[in-house]
Amino acid sequence: MAGYLTRRILGALLVMWAVATLVFFMMRAVPGDPLAAMMFDSGDPAAAEDLRRALGMDVPLVDQYARWLWQLLHGNFGSSIYGSQVPVRQLLAEALPRTLSIAGLSFVVACVIAVPAGIIAAMRKNSPADNALTLVAFLGLSMPDFWFAILLIILFAANLQWLPAIGYSPMSEGFWPWLSHLIMPAIAAGTTFSAIIARMIRSSMIEVLKTDFLRTARSKGLLTWRILLVHALPNALIPVVTVMGIALALMLAGTVVVENVFAIKGLGRTLIEGILNRDYPVVQGAILAVSAIFIGANLVVDVLYTIIDPRIRYS
Amino acid sequence: MTDHHDRSAPPTAAAMRAAWDDAHDFDPRDPLVGLSRADMAGPQIGRRAVLRLMAAAGTLTVAHLLPRGPAMAQGKAGGTLKCGWAGVGQITTLDPAKMNQVLQFQITSNVLSGLTHINAELIAEADLARDWELSADGTEYTFNLREGVTFHNGEPFTADDVIFTYERSKNPAVSIHSRALGNVRGVEKLGSHKVRFKLVGPQASFLVKTTERSSGRVLTILNKTAIEKMGESAHGLMPVGTGPFRITQHVLAQNLTLEKFDKYYDPERPKLDRVIIQPILDAEPLAAAIEAGDIQLIGGGQIAPELIDRLVANKDLVVNIQPSPGFESIWLNPHREPFKVSSFDKPMAELMKEKGFMVRLAIAKAIDRELFIKQAEFGRGTPAHGSVNPAMAFYFDKELGKASLQRFDLAEAKRLMAAAGYPDGKGFPRLKVLLTPPMRRQVEVIRAILKRNIGIELEPVVKDIPVALDEFSTMEWDMVRIGSGGDYDPDDAIVDWMQTSSLFNGQKRDKAKYPFGYFSDKEADALIEEQRVEGNLEKRRALVQKADRITSDKVASAFLYHPATILIHRKQVNFPDASKIPALVDLDRTTLS
Repeated sequence: MAGYLTRRILGALLVMWAVATLVFFMMRAVPGDPLAAMMFDSGDPAAAEDLRRALGMDVPLVDQYARWLWQLLHGNFGSSIYGSQVPVRQLLAEALPRTLSIAGLSFVVACVIAVPAGIIAAMRKNSPADNALTLVAFLGLSMPDFWFAILLIILFAANLQWLPAIGYSPMSEGFWPWLSHLIMPAIAAGTTFSAIIARMIRSSMIEVLKTDFLRTARSKGLLTWRILLVHALPNALIPVVTVMGIALALMLAGTVVVENVFAIKGLGRTLIEGILNRDYPVVQGAILAVSAIFIGANLVVDVLYTIIDPRIRYS
Repeated sequence: MTDHHDRSAPPTAAAMRAAWDDAHDFDPRDPLVGLSRADMAGPQIGRRAVLRLMAAAGTLTVAHLLPRGPAMAQGKAGGTLKCGWAGVGQITTLDPAKMNQVLQFQITSNVLSGLTHINAELIAEADLARDWELSADGTEYTFNLREGVTFHNGEPFTADDVIFTYERSKNPAVSIHSRALGNVRGVEKLGSHKVRFKLVGPQASFLVKTTERSSGRVLTILNKTAIEKMGESAHGLMPVGTGPFRITQHVLAQNLTLEKFDKYYDPERPKLDRVIIQPILDAEPLAAAIEAGDIQLIGGGQIAPELIDRLVANKDLVVNIQPSPGFESIWLNPHREPFKVSSFDKPMAELMKEKGFMVRLAIAKAIDRELFIKQAEFGRGTPAHGSVNPAMAFYFDKELGKASLQRFDLAEAKRLMAAAGYPDGKGFPRLKVLLTPPMRRQVEVIRAILKRNIGIELEPVVKDIPVALDEFSTMEWDMVRIGSGGDYDPDDAIVDWMQTSSLFNGQKRDKAKYPFGYFSDKEADALIEEQRVEGNLEKRRALVQKADRITSDKVASAFLYHPATILIHRKQVNFPDASKIPALVDLDRTTLS
């Protein structure tokens, strides 16, 4: 296992380097000069060139790449090109807790909705309950999350005034302020994923419920909940965990739309704004963070397989 | 235009009549309309002088004679005001040397000071300068600085800070506005609290454009020690100044906290203990936040026009609408068919024979501006026929809308199109309009109006802001939808946009391909140059208006509208008239009920 993990981590680093390199060159191939917007008011092309030199953007691309990679190896992600040139590390450090908070709570919301719904639908296959849950799941999948988020704001913030409409409050300012700002974003982001996970649990459970060992369990007179939770669910979880892992990675990469609607700047919005502004260092830093998250989530899922099913062994 | 706008009790009819008569009590042949040099000297130009100048300009209305309300809002001191800043995800900088957005200097106007600051009438009045004198030849401004002023870090404000700020701002490696100091030869320290600015030539806009604390930006006074101690980056997010509020926290993209500065030079201000500013990018969350009471005031960028009616209808909100200092336009590349113009330096009669000019004028005349404002801006805005905006009441030409060749005239637009060889738009090429995402709705409205009115087809090409601005600078476009904001002085409009040497006239263009940029007219250039150095306000106004008419008649661009400044707050926020400076959100006089 240790050898396997070492190989996976080394492979992950290689993938991250490849992704970062690709992004470095692709971003510069995209039309748009980041200094154009910054220096537009100055009306002085010479001043723009001075700034280009100051930012090290006047040297050949390969030299820029080498410099960036060298800084990266020293843990320096560079600084935003825009405004007061805030270090990318600071931008990511501020964005990540917000994204982790939304993703974590969204994942909880998704699981709380999906697991019971999936099990009930599988147990009562083709019943009105199953059909109703299927319909709700499709609605959840079809509903644009920004629209659902706005509905939540109108109902719970503007009309009922139970929850704050926008913004984020760090945990350091209290648990309730933190939670109250995240309830609606988590519901908006989690609902879509809950539909996907519920459908996966349902189909996986239906397959498992047909197996011989569960027939044996039933014939031995075991309680239904015990059959479902102890015998059926763990065996149905392998494909579900894969989907959950992907869902969690997607949430961690930043639920851009939800972040926009609730005015919370997480990783997703940092990345999108960076792309729109052609803020190269920010995009590169954010892509590195996102790729690390995806690779990390995949690794965690693979390790979870061995816990869920002890027959799985990596060597 | 004001919705839910509380005014003080109106004055008596007799008082109004007396003020009106006094404002008009001058000899029309007197260029100074009965005002002396003392009336025009600092620390501010008095209300009587302003009313008289407006009367001379023909811009004085009864509305101007109504009392502006108390200078300080009614209500008790203290409390925390929560604001939402519209249309922005994060405040990337508050360093005056780096700022290029109105929504940024709206914040710094509460934190930093300049030598002067404009008031609600767009007149420069004393800020860190106690008063000033102007030399006879108009090239030297001597400022007596306010004593006993303290920076937020406890350091005293002296002439050295003015010199430090000047040196920093003129360095193009540090400041993106260094060119704005092009007319300043140098600054001389005459004492611990006295400085003299020496100009290359007279500059009428110096007090409004250069020394003003928000729109000027180049002489917004900073503290050297603070920058050295904090570093450029950290200081850029939490600059140290001498303003009524100091920044105590700035969590990027989340909130910015301003706290009352107890040592502000005016002990009466500010009234609030704290202001929390939250950037809110999207329109709907912004509306929901103020409806829910999460925020009590909206500042920042333009509020989505489709939301205004909904907010006006909300009885818990106050919506104040006034002209905004800017103009919006459609620019037509004069080097490309079908609106190619060999040279604008021709008499109108000759220009009118050129097919390219006919098309330019036809497009400008075919735009029903009232309809455009109604459909694109939900009725909020003023039709524009030139670059000088109505917020500069003294310089704004109220007759331009009737006199300009660009005025809406469908029959004439059709005639011109036919004369140019495109009857009802037949044979007219499909033209691309460069725009940024926020302009999409406006361009769709223009597209529909021009299609219906003269049968031409436009193709919107949406580009990200860096790409669009870059392409605008290189002039690789048929048409562009772009405009200007924060124009407090005619120089911000006609100098920055309408001269051959203007800031934005194809900065990065291929000069062989596009020799004179998007517009160039020798007569307009000369008038604009002349008004820049004209100290007599009335003469300057005449020059400004003449230049404005030329650029309008010769279709430097198809002018669309002057936007509205829309200030929205909840009823418990008392935002006095004295603070209603177009496009700014000065909170030093604001209170909470």
